[in-house]
Amino acid sequence: MSSSRDDFTIAIRSALLQRGARQKFSLLFLFCLSLIFFFFDIYKVSGSTILRNVINDGVYRISNLATSPFKLMENTSSGTKKLIYVYKENSRLKKELEKLKSKDLQVEFLQIQNKSLKKTLETDIKTDRNNIIAKVLLDKSSPYLKSIIVNRGSRSGVLKGMPVLDGSYLIGKIVEVNYLSSRVLLLNDLNSRIPVTFGSDAIQAILTGNGSKKPKLEYLPEQFISLGNQKVFTSGKDGIFLPGIPVGLTEPLNDEATVRLYSDPNQLSFVNIEIANNQKEIF
Amino acid sequence: MNTINRNFKSIIANSGPLFLLYYLSISEIDTEFSNMFEILSFNIQIIIIYYWMLRDSSIIGSGHVFLAGIINDVVTGLPLGLSAISYLTVSFVANYIKNVTVNFSLFTDWFTFLIAIFCSNITFLILMLNFSNFTIVYSDIFYNAFFTFLFFPFFWFFFNLYKNLMKIKKDD
Repeated sequence: MSSSRDDFTIAIRSALLQRGARQKFSLLFLFCLSLIFFFFDIYKVSGSTILRNVINDGVYRISNLATSPFKLMENTSSGTKKLIYVYKENSRLKKELEKLKSKDLQVEFLQIQNKSLKKTLETDIKTDRNNIIAKVLLDKSSPYLKSIIVNRGSRSGVLKGMPVLDGSYLIGKIVEVNYLSSRVLLLNDLNSRIPVTFGSDAIQAILTGNGSKKPKLEYLPEQFISLGNQKVFTSGKDGIFLPGIPVGLTEPLNDEATVRLYSDPNQLSFVNIEIANNQKEIF
Repeated sequence: MNTINRNFKSIIANSGPLFLLYYLSISEIDTEFSNMFEILSFNIQIIIIYYWMLRDSSIIGSGHVFLAGIINDVVTGLPLGLSAISYLTVSFVANYIKNVTVNFSLFTDWFTFLIAIFCSNITFLILMLNFSNFTIVYSDIFYNAFFTFLFFPFFWFFFNLYKNLMKIKKDD
């Protein structure tokens, strides 16, 4: 009995402390080092944030370089596919353009009407909006975090909490800012919560990421009957996002409602970061 | 000249698994195939670390395992050191199994790999749940661990083949 316990202890000790030809450090030392890194990062010990930012910027750039051959292959194959459908798309777009031209006049009229109504309500909030285009450096999926890395950081005026758009559609918000890069938390991430409004009755809800491609609508009014294909916009209730940014279309799911996002979070290559001047860092 | 050439080839062949480990950590090539099959995701890094630590720890050093973990944390946005601790736990189990086992076969490796995954995920979860604000879907972690375990024999055969090829190169 005693001998088997001794063997066990020896095996454990050997596994933790043994060093060999390429084992310059013992596992115990590396465990301790990892724990120090972990707690420094978790408790944001002074200096660790700067160190993390420097490491992030370096690793993101190398990672982008390392992935470029695969991106090139992906782009070539998707480019070929697109070319095949371009003719069909062209004729369809021509028809759509005609329709849009007629709608354009209608929109112009509505804009004038909207302005005059806002003046009447005296709630015309002037916002100095500014967009910067950012390239997606990394979009590595993980079971824990749905996020992307973009090549704009504090040098370009990016702050935590800024909304990120694909074209004019909301895809997420900035959650980490380095000097040359930032991390965008996508709408479908578990930690994402965005106040939204939808439908002709301007129903208020919270868009909650659930890890899948279709985030859920939560905190809906009582006895809410879920309807499909209603346009979802940001409500701006949180004071972080500007109101009226298009998000997606509602989809009924049993007693709940999900949102089919306008922009596929897995197909992003360039995004817009909406910089509202005089905005403070919000997170 | 011939010796230098042979040495160079041997270094390149020996660095294969290490290169793969670093490349998988740093590149955005992910092993989450939710586009094809919603629950399919697995962790090749853990398989690489476990196999090579068990079979030939001179191929992948613990320092490299630690560094690959740190890089993986940066790329995936997890708290720094979390993946490193998880990977080092796998290394520790592999080292322990190596110390107490004489004969290795696919089935012993596969069975003990289950212990390594279990310990690694438990460590990961304890640190994640107690010290970070991340929300976790337990089913995703379970599926990830399950498929990692399921695919182990496939990589075991592949790495065995690679190991034998390295041996032949050395004998030449």
